[in-house]
Amino acid sequence: MDADRRVRLMHEVVALAGGRPVAVEHVCAAVLPAVGVDGLAISVILAATPPETIYTTDQVAADLAELSITLGEGPCVDAAAGLPVFAADLGAAAVTARWPIFAPEAVRAGAGAVFALPLQVGAIRFAVMALYRGTPGRLDNGQLADALVLADTACAVLLDATVPPGRWTEHPDMRHPEIHQATGMLIIQLGVPAAAALTRLRAHAYANDRRLRDVAADVVARRLRFEPDDPQLMDR
Amino acid sequence: MTDVQLADVFVEMADTLVDDFDVIDFLHVLTERCVQLLDVSAAGLLLTDQHNALQVVAASSERTRLLELFQLQTDEGPCVDCFHTGQPVSVADLSSGGRWPRFTAVAAEAGFAAVHALPMRLRADVIGAVNLFGTQPGALDGEKLRIGQALADVATIGLLQQRAIRQRDTLTEQLQHALNSRILIEQAKGVLAERYHLDVADAFALLRDGARSRKRRLSELAQAIVDGTELLPRTP
Repeated sequence: MDADRRVRLMHEVVALAGGRPVAVEHVCAAVLPAVGVDGLAISVILAATPPETIYTTDQVAADLAELSITLGEGPCVDAAAGLPVFAADLGAAAVTARWPIFAPEAVRAGAGAVFALPLQVGAIRFAVMALYRGTPGRLDNGQLADALVLADTACAVLLDATVPPGRWTEHPDMRHPEIHQATGMLIIQLGVPAAAALTRLRAHAYANDRRLRDVAADVVARRLRFEPDDPQLMDR
Repeated sequence: MTDVQLADVFVEMADTLVDDFDVIDFLHVLTERCVQLLDVSAAGLLLTDQHNALQVVAASSERTRLLELFQLQTDEGPCVDCFHTGQPVSVADLSSGGRWPRFTAVAAEAGFAAVHALPMRLRADVIGAVNLFGTQPGALDGEKLRIGQALADVATIGLLQQRAIRQRDTLTEQLQHALNSRILIEQAKGVLAERYHLDVADAFALLRDGARSRKRRLSELAQAIVDGTELLPRTP
């Protein structure tokens, strides 16, 4: 792993955005050359709603996402449990044994290999990024590391769907454990799922022009409380 | 420390490694044993992420100030130096000042007088570091240094073993899994802290005792708590 990996990939993403706010399509466009795959799809998987594919680079990627959702099996379905799932050769016996319906259908759709990466922050697993190659082949270590960094970036961008242009935030990691502790506290304060709790925390930080970690520290120190503001609740 | 104690610790670790185990719980126990065997006040374990930065995954105490002190070293301090050189770094007396003014000031404020960092090595790579703090000035003698390094090696073996058990393709995936599990545990700490009006360190104790008494994996129980499918009542 080289220390410049993240910086290099960020530059590529920002260049692809060409002065516009970075969106998920720019991150996806950076994935293809860096990871050496032919296409990808991102499907959102939230407990309350059916899975929904929000971005695809091409028809094969769209077909693969559609197959996973309708068949309920395949690397993307398994990756939703929180771990990356790789099928470097969809024609291999072990792969066909694991996904007897998906594997042959995926080959028919034009894929030789599928690599599914969960987009997650701790317990929050909200999407799967599925990369495919037309021909079988493993990701090398550099490609895998690039894929993981860009999956983190896509994760941050998707969580920041409401962020004003020009703002750029990091993937929330263990550098600031208070962000995750505060997320947990907001689950109880607001009575919402973890993903919504993190979004509310981030929204509060942006709205008040404060750093996420500082808002989180206030929540953990109990200097700041969030109140449920669901209109249905207020109407009662 | 007696030879019997030392033998007991390594037997305990070996016992864990033969079965499926929770990697964060394993590393947490390891930091506690570091404190007992090496006569230090606190121990922390940092792993590298795919951005080549160090992140805290386990500590002998979950005091927020202590976690911050460990994490601070992702910028400067003995852990970073140890990580980059692959060599142990030992500062017998922090009051003598030195290379890391910001780190030294915070460590002194927390009441620490000596600090040591031992590399977690895997062949040519350094994948993390074990960080030890003492409240009295003093170097680690040759014997303690050997035991400390053996414990750091056991931590590395634990990560590799988990990778093998879970059939993960690469160490990168295993490291990422460990880091994400740690985020998950922080989120669960927040849920418990808010629900029961606890300090986050006490929330961790509740979570871990809950996992032990239920014979559950720490990260599985944490996930259930964040998802709201388990409440973990304080009185059984």
